[in-house]
Amino acid sequence: MMIELIQVNHQFAIGKKGKERVVPVLHHIDLHVKKGEIVAIVGRSGSGKSTLLNLISGYIRPTSGTIRVAEQDVTGLSEGDWANFRLAHLGFIFQSFQLIPSMTAFENAELPLVLKGIALSERKKRVMELLEQMGVAEYAGHYPGELSGGQQQRVSIARSLMLNPPIVLADEPTGSLDTDNERQLLALIRELNRDLGITFVLITHDDQVAATAHRTVTLKDGYLLNAYGKGAEYSYEA
Amino acid sequence: MKLKDQIRFVRQNMKKNKTRLFMTVLATAMGCSFLIVLASVGFGLQKSIVDKIVGDRLVTAIDIYGIEAHDSIERQLGLSQIEYLRSVDHVKAVTYRNQVRQQLSPSLDGSAVNSQGAVNVDFAAETKAGFALSAGTLPKADDEVVIGYHIRIPPGTKPNEEPPAADEWLGKTINLEVSQTQTDGSERKTTIPVKIVGVAEKPSREWRIDTNIYIGNGLIAKIEDFTQTQWGEQRIVPDKKNPEGYEPPGLQDPRFYNGVQVIADGANRVKGIGEVIRKQGYFIHSIADELEQVNLVFLIMKIGLVFVGTIAVLIASIGIYNTMTMAVTERAQDIGIMKAIGAHPSAIRRIFLLESAMIGILGALIGTVVAYVVSFAVNAGLPLVVQGFMNEKVPEGFRFSWIPAYLAALAALISLAVALLSGSRPARRATRVDVLRALRRDL
Ligand SMILES: Nc1ncnc2c1ncn2[C@@H]1O[C@H](COP(=O)(O)OP(=O)(O)OP(=O)(O)O)[C@@H](O)[C@H]1O
Ligand SMILES: [Mg+2]
Repeated sequence: MMIELIQVNHQFAIGKKGKERVVPVLHHIDLHVKKGEIVAIVGRSGSGKSTLLNLISGYIRPTSGTIRVAEQDVTGLSEGDWANFRLAHLGFIFQSFQLIPSMTAFENAELPLVLKGIALSERKKRVMELLEQMGVAEYAGHYPGELSGGQQQRVSIARSLMLNPPIVLADEPTGSLDTDNERQLLALIRELNRDLGITFVLITHDDQVAATAHRTVTLKDGYLLNAYGKGAEYSYEA
Repeated sequence: MKLKDQIRFVRQNMKKNKTRLFMTVLATAMGCSFLIVLASVGFGLQKSIVDKIVGDRLVTAIDIYGIEAHDSIERQLGLSQIEYLRSVDHVKAVTYRNQVRQQLSPSLDGSAVNSQGAVNVDFAAETKAGFALSAGTLPKADDEVVIGYHIRIPPGTKPNEEPPAADEWLGKTINLEVSQTQTDGSERKTTIPVKIVGVAEKPSREWRIDTNIYIGNGLIAKIEDFTQTQWGEQRIVPDKKNPEGYEPPGLQDPRFYNGVQVIADGANRVKGIGEVIRKQGYFIHSIADELEQVNLVFLIMKIGLVFVGTIAVLIASIGIYNTMTMAVTERAQDIGIMKAIGAHPSAIRRIFLLESAMIGILGALIGTVVAYVVSFAVNAGLPLVVQGFMNEKVPEGFRFSWIPAYLAALAALISLAVALLSGSRPARRATRVDVLRALRRDL
């Protein structure tokens, strides 16, 4: 099992200290994602999709329950351990790309390698290889402000794949792209899944994206409806 | 994360707001140079005053005046005492200065030499003690001598006049006339020619005149062999005016040494040696004893000055704190993205600490250079001011400000420490940037 959520609850506390109000967002979530699966999470706005993905990313901690990622219990990890875990196991694709504006495409893409402490000579090869694969090698010296949305998303995907993560998490990855770019991105996701066996968890509003997935799960008001819904019988054989 | 990459990040960040960086470094540099210049006055005055006290004396020397005893003869220092002193730990040499007890009427090329007399020294010990020469070498043979720096001044010259160069006499021969009154009242004379091989250093005190002829143990033995008295002293035969006469100590009598100095093998050994031989009953005095008090006063003064100077650096640190806080705020978005993809909080903290350290180091570097310039200007300018307004001459070589390398290093260390201290809070804040708020651009 690549990702396992067992009886996960999450609630936010809002308001001033002492006068907090508790907002429950996720209830009794049980989710299992197998190695090599593409899982799409769908649901209405405010249903808790992003919150769920943020729990798997370690950006927030569950109020209760257990989360296991890549066979490791990550529920109680410290912030520093989470950072190391993310760097080693998770790739991220964001709706708004999240490139650092003062760094070139090359510098943005190499960031995971820099954080890992890999030498520049080695980095160069790997970064150019991936930028090439994403079709943006010629823009290596450009700043994000000098790139189109599609190009920025390719740079950010290059960054997410830099350290060969077994899992890629994506919160509305096509949300800022036109249909052409969206189609290419979905093809790329399928290709990466097929060729490298990367496990994907995607959040989407888009039927196209959902159709790409092996399986779709729906969140409604913080409850996971069809955890074993469409494609529940699917199993990845490899 | 590699240090090289951290430095690259910091440099990238620094380039973003050069004016702010410049002002912050400027403030740090001003604080640092203020600290150095202020403390340098303490160092400069100490050096000038201590040099004045020490004069041409060795800080490693201990003067031995005598040894505790009941009568004045036993208080003098004999050969066994000299030997004991030589045996004490960390004693490098024991020297003495014994005046030859007759005129010797030294002459060179037939004319009299302006000499106050001859002094017997132990050249073997003097070599170890570091007898300072302005020219030539120390004697190796019995009939070689060293002459005082002022020996060539013709009698009656004004005291301030520079003597003719003594080294022009190197290799020349001085004739020493030794005489002794025999017991029957008759006078015997002999002439001993000696070769000048060295010229002593100019005494560092301006008013001191050195017209000695320094002779070794071989030569004094020759003289004594002729006079048959210690140090060549002359006999006075009883007559009507002086019915008792005077018979100087003979060569078999116990011999006493004057001007005895113990030379330690390091200035820090002087105190220890002093304690050991004082316990043995020796009367001693060392310049180190005197300096200890003076140096203590200056140490307190220097600590005070460094303390006051550090306040200036602390004021500059407010600027560093401000700059770093703004840098963290401006870059919260980038920090959030880096954390989101897996940057360790400690790596982020290190980047910001490195940035404030670099401000501190840059400030210290510039501040040190400025401090050296200011110190140089003060040393050059202040004597002119003193002369102009008070009509007083500042002694030659007097330094108001002196920056030893370790003062500069200390100031750099203080600047660095203060910079790190003021950068630590902003750096900690950087690690606490909320990832989700940063990704939402909500900072
Ligand atoms: N930091 C927070 N503090 C308080 N409440 C929050 C916080 N983040 C999210 N919520 C609430 O949790 C609920 C779920 O939010 P979430 O962002 O997970 O929804 P979503 O399914 O991703 O919506 P969308 O499709 O619009 O992105 C919402 O009602 C939201 O108001
Ligand atoms: Mg969302």
